Amino acid sequence: MSDRAGSSEDLVAALFCSKAEWHRTQARTPIKEKVRILLELQRQDHPLLKRHRRLEWWERPWEIEP
Amino acid sequence: MKADGIIEDYAIGGAMAVLFYAEPTRTYDLDVFVLLPESGQEIVVLTPIYDWLQRRGFAPKAEHIMIHGVPVQLIPAYNDLVKEAITEARQHDYDGVSVQVTPPEHLIAIAFQTGGRKRRERAFQLLETTDIDRGKLDELLSRHSIRSPGSDHE
Repeated sequence: MSDRAGSSEDLVAALFCSKAEWHRTQARTPIKEKVRILLELQRQDHPLLKRHRRLEWWERPWEIEP
Repeated sequence: MKADGIIEDYAIGGAMAVLFYAEPTRTYDLDVFVLLPESGQEIVVLTPIYDWLQRRGFAPKAEHIMIHGVPVQLIPAYNDLVKEAITEARQHDYDGVSVQVTPPEHLIAIAFQTGGRKRRERAFQLLETTDIDRGKLDELLSRHSIRSPGSDHE
């Protein structure tokens, strides 16, 4: 039982570790690529945000190239 | 704007500044902290900035100015911490253009000082994924009397 609990804890620790590493890798992405991701996030989130509240005039995806 | 003496200096702040150090998070505007020349007046006057921008075809609308498709909010340095963020801004390169960006330690301190869930989340994101000078951050928090969230439990 304790062995199983131990391996489960190890698994969770490993998952958190790989997640943290993924975030660090994302942080090291070149700035131009980050802006491209940001533009994509804006496009994805906009319809969802619009459904939940009235948006300000400036809260819309930027029509720019990164 | 700086060359024309309209502003003394500037630094990109907010989520766009975080983008230079951490992973992308969604934002729809660009915050720019500006240090204005001494006017001798108690009230902050942004008219010279708006006039300068309007002469170049950028019209303000409420608190934002649309500049080449990006809504920009110009925020006059409202306290010593923000002034320091501007004077200690880091130079970054964006596609061959040099831009001044608020240092990550100042971004965290400003987020803790201002409060708000989204700002705190971004601050913790910086703490977890960026090389933060912890000594400098502690010194900033202490000098500006800022309590970090969770310090009550320490």
